[in-house]
Amino acid sequence: MLRQGDTGDWIGTFLGHKGAVWGATLNKTATKAATAAADFTAKVWDAVTGDELITLAHKHIVKSVDFTQDSNHLLTGGQDKLLRIYDLTKPEADPEQIGGHTSAIKKALWYNNDRQILSAADDKTVRLWDRVSMTEVKTLNFNLSVSSMEYIPDGETLLITYGRTIALYNSSSLELIKSFEAPAPINSASLHPEKDCIVAGGDDFKLYKYDYSTGEELESYKGHFGPVHCVRFSPDGELYASGSEDGTLRLWQTAVGKTYGLWKCVLPEELVSENSDAIYNVSSELKA
Amino acid sequence: MENPPLLPQVPVIRLPRPPSPSGRGFDPSSPRALAHHAADSHQKIRSTLRERFLRSLLASSGLPVTFTMYQRVTVNAEKFNACDMEAYNFQVSNLQTPLGVQDEALIRGPDIISYSFCI
Repeated sequence: MLRQGDTGDWIGTFLGHKGAVWGATLNKTATKAATAAADFTAKVWDAVTGDELITLAHKHIVKSVDFTQDSNHLLTGGQDKLLRIYDLTKPEADPEQIGGHTSAIKKALWYNNDRQILSAADDKTVRLWDRVSMTEVKTLNFNLSVSSMEYIPDGETLLITYGRTIALYNSSSLELIKSFEAPAPINSASLHPEKDCIVAGGDDFKLYKYDYSTGEELESYKGHFGPVHCVRFSPDGELYASGSEDGTLRLWQTAVGKTYGLWKCVLPEELVSENSDAIYNVSSELKA
Repeated sequence: MENPPLLPQVPVIRLPRPPSPSGRGFDPSSPRALAHHAADSHQKIRSTLRERFLRSLLASSGLPVTFTMYQRVTVNAEKFNACDMEAYNFQVSNLQTPLGVQDEALIRGPDIISYSFCI
């Protein structure tokens, strides 16, 4: 499903997968979408018309898809432990394959201006690969399986979550900068584009907001009534979205009370003097 | 003892538009679809037409031209010189009029239906 980022308005639904969709992404210009699904395929869609463009058959469940910046190549990863690189200009051609992970791949991302690939798998490793030589450059080992990764190229930061830990790495050296512990297992976290704060969500249904520099817990929000599986900041940092097992996707304001998207800032005196019947008084989250 | 004050509620103008019960969306007339498609083709056609018009002006400069105007008036000029940016005035030399030949003349653009010249 494609929705407008600032308002949450529905744009359209990509219809075609015959199994659960595990991963989805847009290209840089939002003209194409790619999805990874449990029907052993990854699909590429026209994000303007909603048409299915390409179906890429896999040998097992596909969990992650990622476009290069020029949208010509698609990286996929999934249950069969292999990374695949498809040339979208020649979709019939066999993909390039990179093997090495010993368990299912959870997430695979283009890294370092598409010259490298970063992948996280259930084998409790995050591996860095060279695109040209297709060899492993570096491995990060963890005591638990990595639940999510976010790469912020402009901020030269890599955010990795595992267990209750939210860890920040320097993206070029892959050295640990710092890490925080959350009160519950975390499934996903996102760093504000200006590095003000980190939001995270996980098994206790709550969203946590941490100060980037001190690691102090700033807020926690209740709203979801199921585990949170994915949290992401918008590119402008004004809001973040959380997706949960409760079947809802919620949009949250970074600075609560601003006029932005469908939120309307109303000063207390206006609430009293003005007839605000037209304005729904819904709390800061929006139900999808 | 009063309860502690609740956090201020942020009102919204409306709720997000939900999926339509029929159809898969991607309205081709939506601003987003138009921005992606129409902008391409429409703007390309406009710029091609504009470029052709400007080239025709350039090609006709210095040549004899015939203006077809309203009320079946046709006038000839020995030489077409230039027109202004908005195509509001056309400057010609030796314009043949029923009153005689005007050495230099400006013809108002809105009066002209078409003008032609031989390459």
